[in-house]
Amino acid sequence: MKITEALRIVQATVADAPPFRVTLACGFTPLHLHTFLNAHLQLALPARAVHVKEGLYGDLCGTLEHITDSDGLVVVIEWPDLDARLDYRNSGAWGRDVMASVVEHASMALGRIKTALARVSSGIPVALALPSLPLVPIFSTPGWMTSEAELLLNGALLQFAGELAHDGRVRVVSRERLAQESPWEARFDLKSDLKAGLPYSIQHADAMAALLAKTLVPAAPKKGVISDLDDTMWKGIVGDEGPENVKWDLHGDAQMHGLYQKLLGSLSDSGTLVAIASKNDPAVVAKTFERPDMIVRSEQVFPIEVSWNAKSGAVKSILEIWNIAADSVVFVDDSPMELAEVGSQHPGIECMLFPKDDPVACLQMLRRLRDLCGKDKVSSDDLLRLASIRQGAAFRQQAEGGSAPESFLQQAQASITFDFSAAGEPRTLELVNKTNQFNLNGRRWAEADWHKEADSDKSLIITASYEDKFGPLGTIAVAKANFQGERVLVDTWVMSCRAFSRRVEHQTLRLLFDCAGVDEIEFAFQPTAKNGPTRDFFASLLGEAPGAEFSLKKSQFDERCPALYHEVRELKKAEAHG
Amino acid sequence: MDDVKAKLVECFQIVFPDLKEKDIPAASQDTVADWDSVAAITLVNVIEEQFGIEMDLDQIAELDSFEKVRAYLEQRQQPA
Repeated sequence: MKITEALRIVQATVADAPPFRVTLACGFTPLHLHTFLNAHLQLALPARAVHVKEGLYGDLCGTLEHITDSDGLVVVIEWPDLDARLDYRNSGAWGRDVMASVVEHASMALGRIKTALARVSSGIPVALALPSLPLVPIFSTPGWMTSEAELLLNGALLQFAGELAHDGRVRVVSRERLAQESPWEARFDLKSDLKAGLPYSIQHADAMAALLAKTLVPAAPKKGVISDLDDTMWKGIVGDEGPENVKWDLHGDAQMHGLYQKLLGSLSDSGTLVAIASKNDPAVVAKTFERPDMIVRSEQVFPIEVSWNAKSGAVKSILEIWNIAADSVVFVDDSPMELAEVGSQHPGIECMLFPKDDPVACLQMLRRLRDLCGKDKVSSDDLLRLASIRQGAAFRQQAEGGSAPESFLQQAQASITFDFSAAGEPRTLELVNKTNQFNLNGRRWAEADWHKEADSDKSLIITASYEDKFGPLGTIAVAKANFQGERVLVDTWVMSCRAFSRRVEHQTLRLLFDCAGVDEIEFAFQPTAKNGPTRDFFASLLGEAPGAEFSLKKSQFDERCPALYHEVRELKKAEAHG
Repeated sequence: MDDVKAKLVECFQIVFPDLKEKDIPAASQDTVADWDSVAAITLVNVIEEQFGIEMDLDQIAELDSFEKVRAYLEQRQQPA
């Protein structure tokens, strides 16, 4: 991006859009970094008016200690923030005896930054970049040899970043990715630094800003990967060569297939759904998955759609079982023709060629797949997702398999746990912001705004998790009510489509009436293009579909609520989360 | 309006969006409140992008009005 383009993007911001206020904390003058960060964030958040506010020059910690009114925090550390003697603009003395002091001082500065970051409100997302410019060339070793002091400085820095990442409060920009996007020799503008205190070259400011924006406001990860088998998951045609002869290892000149399996396994373990769409003999495929050296295990993959029919049909079945839209999915195949066939039938699906004969292109594909599916945090619900999908499939199969729905629900041994103190859990806001079909009004919440509501004593936020004899579904519903005197207004209510047909919504509504202790509740309902199931649910209680906000009396609910068979458990604030 | 002037007016509009187009030819650091040292650097960078040239940071202090910038650019465009 050029500065001209960045300025135009910033100036085109819709003035009356809801603001998204970002504090940029760094010790140097972030002129171009500020402009580019504003522009990249604006592109990521087109419905918001992004405002980037700079902190104090030369006082990174001071800025961190006085964060107010921010929806996001961007922290950019450079070596002078750790010790002024590491500044090209500093004219203080230097020598062997100073180095130990610099290392010690840098460690203390990192400790101070860490303490200041810990005090920043937990609702504010934080993106952090570690020093990206060269150290001053005044160490006593030749330049091709790293000095002890340089190693100690880098060691302290990595330990600091590792601890922050472990805490999960701070997202750290990848130095490896920055090296790809911004070559080392083009980062530092020494002349500009000496004359104006602007150390970043324009290109580096743009690259750094782009990564910071992605780190602060990550795009929603793809929810699933659908993969071909022959010449994709493994090298060879299993129907011709047999289950024992297809390969995915170095010895078989098929290592990139093995790396692909490793990545799929890793993504599956983090909650990304993985399925198979293959033209093959199901028995042969099943036998191949039984091989003990198979890296992706069969329990990490569901469903496995194997037949001789068109792959678009297999993809359709998988999407129905997963209950997600095509634009949330990546389809990987070594055949351009299959990719085109699936792409034409499922608009929005991300089709990715597995370049089986080109290891370099294959590595790029793996990196792209990681970028599309990777997530910064793995929640307990992510870990349950695949089991939950299997559970849903078993639930549907049995429900359709002859048992009357009523008796089926009665025998499902279902339990619902309502948690009154999980508003701050990442899964809660994630569910609110990604659920479409059972969604009261389609409203999306900024992280900071949601946490403010969670802290308000006029708000009640309840999450529901569900389990039955088929297994757990994890956290599947969130409802938020506001109390204004005698008036109770539910302004947010979502439920995962995985929990449909289990009467969780009825049990939630019963709980809301019980908690509120009122005879009537108002609902900030708004029809959206996708929330038909919500409208239908309320229509079953009201006798007609609502078109806008409405009130529901407890007597209306009691009269029309079907029998509920769940065992209900409530986690109050005192007992929740240990 | 000649090419240099038209492109330079565009540069000023990008850097100083609140400045009216008719006021740009008379603009200077004395008349434009937003034209501080930081804006001056941004202006130079935008001019570099729009005109495809490289400018020396040392010259920023001297280029303190639209007319001076225009004269500088016209001089740069003359054959040596």
